[in-house]
Amino acid sequence: MNAAFFTLILLSIIRLTTPIALAGIGNMFSERVGVLNLGAEGMMLCGAFCGVLGSYLTKNPWLGVLFGILGGVLASSLHALICVEFGGTQAVSGLGLNILAAGLTTLLSTAVFGTNISPSVPSIQTTPFLAGIPIFGGALSQLSPLIYLSVPIIIGANFLIYHTPFGLRLMAVGDDPKTVETAGVDVWKLKYAGVLLCGAFCGLAGAFMSLGQLDRFFEDMISGKGMMAVIVVKMGRWNPLGIVATALMLGFFDALQLQIQISGFLSIPPEITQIIPFVVAIAAISLQPKGGSGPKTVETPYLRNRYKF
Amino acid sequence: MLSSLRNTGHKGMGRGLLLPLILISAAFLLSGVLILFLKGNPLQAYVALFKGAFGSPSALINTVNKAVPICFAAFAVAVSQFGGTFNIGVEGQLLFGALGATVTGVYLRGLPMVVHVPICLLAGMAFGMVWSLVPAALFIKRGVNLLVVFLMTNTIASFLLQYLVLEVIGDPNALRPASYAIQKSAELPYLLVRPNRLTIGILLLLLTAALLAFFMKKTTLGYEMHAVGANRSAAEYAGIKSGRYMFWSLLIGGALAGLCGSIEIMGNHHRLYTDFSPGYGFDGIPIALLAKGDPWAMLLGGLLFGALRTGSINMQAQTGVPDEIVSVIQGSLIVFIAGEYFVRYLLQRGRKREVEKV
Repeated sequence: MNAAFFTLILLSIIRLTTPIALAGIGNMFSERVGVLNLGAEGMMLCGAFCGVLGSYLTKNPWLGVLFGILGGVLASSLHALICVEFGGTQAVSGLGLNILAAGLTTLLSTAVFGTNISPSVPSIQTTPFLAGIPIFGGALSQLSPLIYLSVPIIIGANFLIYHTPFGLRLMAVGDDPKTVETAGVDVWKLKYAGVLLCGAFCGLAGAFMSLGQLDRFFEDMISGKGMMAVIVVKMGRWNPLGIVATALMLGFFDALQLQIQISGFLSIPPEITQIIPFVVAIAAISLQPKGGSGPKTVETPYLRNRYKF
Repeated sequence: MLSSLRNTGHKGMGRGLLLPLILISAAFLLSGVLILFLKGNPLQAYVALFKGAFGSPSALINTVNKAVPICFAAFAVAVSQFGGTFNIGVEGQLLFGALGATVTGVYLRGLPMVVHVPICLLAGMAFGMVWSLVPAALFIKRGVNLLVVFLMTNTIASFLLQYLVLEVIGDPNALRPASYAIQKSAELPYLLVRPNRLTIGILLLLLTAALLAFFMKKTTLGYEMHAVGANRSAAEYAGIKSGRYMFWSLLIGGALAGLCGSIEIMGNHHRLYTDFSPGYGFDGIPIALLAKGDPWAMLLGGLLFGALRTGSINMQAQTGVPDEIVSVIQGSLIVFIAGEYFVRYLLQRGRKREVEKV
C-alpha cells in the first residue's frame, strides 16, 4: 500500500460517488414532496446528452453543463406533469421516462452526430489551477471542477431543505398536503418545484458523467447510476448527509471492486466483484433499525379538487 | 405505498377499450411528430410497422412469440399487485428462472420429453421463487423498502448470470456469450413449424391466464389475498394475516417470472444468452397496471408490446426510420399509461357535458 495507490483509490471513490450523490439529492427533493422518481436514470441520460450537445454547439463545456441541467429539468417536467398535475402512477411514469429517454437520446444522437456515440467535445475533466498547491496539488487537479462545485451545492441543498421556509414547506407537502393546502399555501407549486429541482440535480449528475468524467455521450452511458440514486435516498433516510454517506459507501465498494478487478487480486472474476457494492448495501439496509422519518405520502397523488370525480 | 396502484372497477367492455385506444393513439401521434422531425414519413413507417407485426401469418407468429414472455412478466407483476405488493424485481426473477431451466435442461440427460419439459419448467419456477425469497422475507420481517431491494437484486441477478454463463456453464464454441444448448428433450414441442415456429408456450400462457382468473375471482385464497391488496388494515381487522398473503403474492410472482424466463429459453433460444431479456420484466409493469389485474386484458397488452418489437425490424428495413423510435413509442405510451387517471377524468367530464346538453 503506497501513497500513490491510496490516492488512486481515493480519487476513484470520489469520482464514482459524485453522480450518485448529486442525483440522490435531487431524488430527495422529489420524494420530499411526495413524488417517487424512478425516472432518475432517464433524467440523467437527458442531462448527459444535452450537456454534450451544448458543449458541441457552443464549444464551451460550462455552457454544456448548463444545457445538461436544462435537459434534466425538461425531462423532469414530463414526470411532474403526470405525477403532480394528473395524479398519475409515479412508479410507472418514471419507468416509462427511462425507456423514452433511452430511445430519444439515441435517436437525437444519431440525428445530430451521425452515430450513437458522439465525437469528442470540449470537457472539464481536470482542474489545472489547483496543480500549484504543494503536495496535494497533483492529485487535486485530476478531479473535475464539477466535483468541487458539488460540495457547496450539496451543502446548499441541506441548508435549503432544513433552514429555509421554502424547504420546510417542501417537507410539509410530502408529509401532509391537506394541512399545507388548508394553511393557504399552493401545494402544487411546491410539488412542481420539488420535481423540477430533482430534474436539475439529475441533469447536473448526467452532465458530470458525460463532461466531467468523459468528453462524449454514448448510448446507455448512465448504466444503473440513476437506480443507485433511488436506492441511496431511501437508505440515507431522505436527508442530504445520509444520502452522501450512503453514496460514499457504495462508491467505496465500487472503487474497491474496480481495484480488485484491475489488480487481478485473488483472481476473482469481474462479474462477482461488481456484485460486492450491492450485497453490502442489502446487508446494510436489512440491519438498519426499523422505521424512519421518510415523507409520508410518497406515491400518493394529491389531486386538485376540479380533477376529482 | 400502494394507494396509487388502486384498483378501480370495470365499467363495461366498450369503455374499457376506449381508454387504452386513446393512450395508444397519443403515443403514436407524439412519436409521429418526432419521425417528421427526423425527416421520415410517419404514415409509411407505421404501415411498415403494422405489416411487420401482423402482415403475414409468419409475422403474426413472430409477434405472438415475442408477446408470450411479456405477458408472463405482466402476470408476475399483477399477482403481486393483487396481494398488495409492487414487484419491480421481475427482471431478476426471470433471469434466475431461465438459469434454473437451463441447468436442468443441459445436465439432466436421457429423460423422455414428457418428463424433462415439466421438470425444467418447475425448476425455472423454483429458481424464480427463490430469487424473490430474500427480498420478500426482508420486506415482511424487517420492513425493508421492497423497491430498493428489488432494484438491487435485479442488478445482482444480471451480474451473477453473466458470471455463471461465461465461466461455469458457458459453451466456448457459441458465437455470443451463451450456455451449452439444452437437450432436445427439454425443448418445448412445436405446435406449428410452418410458416414459422410456434411452441406450446402460447398454450401454457392461456392456461396460466385461465388459472389466474379462476384464482383471483373464484377462490377463497384469492379473495383474501385481494382483500389484503385492496386495504391491508381492513383485512387485518377481518382476521386475515396480511403479512402471509403479501409474502406469498411475491413468491407466486417470482414463480411466474421464473416460468417466463424458462419458456423463453426452452421455446425460443434453446440456450441461455446473457442478454436474452431486453427488459421483459419492466415491460410487464405498465401492462399489469393498465389491465387492472384482468389476465385477458394483459394478453392484449402483451400482444401490443410484442407487435412493436417485431414490427420495428420491418419498419427500419423498409422506411429507414430507426427502430429506436419503438422505444420512444413504448416509453411515451408507458408515461401516458401512468397518467390514465387524467384521461378518465376528461372522458367523464365529456360524458357529463353530453348529459347536460340533453
